[in-house]
Amino acid sequence: MNAVARTVAAVPVRTSVKTWEAITGLLAPAGSPGRLRLDAVTNIAAILITAEYTSQAPIVVMPTSGPRVRIRTVHGPDAADALPGEIPLPASPCAEPGWSMSLPCGIDDIDEIRGALRGHPGIEARDLTDGAFVDEPAAEAVAWSVNYDELETP
Amino acid sequence: MTTAVYVNTTTYAATHVATNMLGSIRSIIKGSGLSPDLIRDQWATLENGIETWLASRHLKAVTLEVFDPGKRPSDFAGRFDFTIDYGYYPGGDGDLWLDPDTVAYTVRKNGSYPGRCRYRIVIDCAPGYPPIPGWADTTYRSTEGFTRHTVGTALGGGSLGAGLSYYTRSGK
Repeated sequence: MNAVARTVAAVPVRTSVKTWEAITGLLAPAGSPGRLRLDAVTNIAAILITAEYTSQAPIVVMPTSGPRVRIRTVHGPDAADALPGEIPLPASPCAEPGWSMSLPCGIDDIDEIRGALRGHPGIEARDLTDGAFVDEPAAEAVAWSVNYDELETP
Repeated sequence: MTTAVYVNTTTYAATHVATNMLGSIRSIIKGSGLSPDLIRDQWATLENGIETWLASRHLKAVTLEVFDPGKRPSDFAGRFDFTIDYGYYPGGDGDLWLDPDTVAYTVRKNGSYPGRCRYRIVIDCAPGYPPIPGWADTTYRSTEGFTRHTVGTALGGGSLGAGLSYYTRSGK
């Protein structure tokens, strides 16, 4: 299974909320239903970005078709270096209905964040120590592995 | 817990201090046994206000004020102040840094609040601050009967430093 990876500059280049806005700008066109779903979890995602969970493990987007998208944030002195890599995706993975998203979260916050995401079906939080792997739909329960070389590709 | 030291970029100091100060307040809330729901639900408004007023240099302090609803004659239960010092690094070239240990120490020293306690975030700004939607004027609760403890500077960057202090009932 193919995956597309991006890195997004976070604090101190952007606040946590503006970092999420930059991420959503890659995933869905402004004003689209998908963008509205992403906007609705801004506060939750911003907390995960502030805690830098999104730098330790990727945000994973599973579109209805096409490759998965993995997005990491870059913080601190390296953040500005990530700006040139914020290249638009070939297709907007959240433009069509049916997509889902997995957000990385530390164990100290995961109960709170999962509770907060209950009203946002299709967007879930996973323990970031689970790595980049997320559950596959049963129909697609085939073995696969992460192409780390591809993840490193801008 | 570690102390993170970042390379200085003065332009980014307000962003660094705003987001990480809010993150520190959330750590205090969770560490003190308070519900994180309120700060989470208001995150975007809080971060926007703090960053804007830091950048305009109107922000004087950010306070987490804790109260015990129904308690009389005063419902004040405690508070935590992040006081901004715009001349903490006189040359304006301080690294961007955060010391989670200072926050953790403060939480440990202050202890927990009963589960019924609530809180709010209060900003002290200098006159002339630009208005931002979602914020309203208010006044602090009286701290009479409480003692202020200064812990030290918890984070900084550029010329900015944010000192942390907390209040406990006198004699505690």
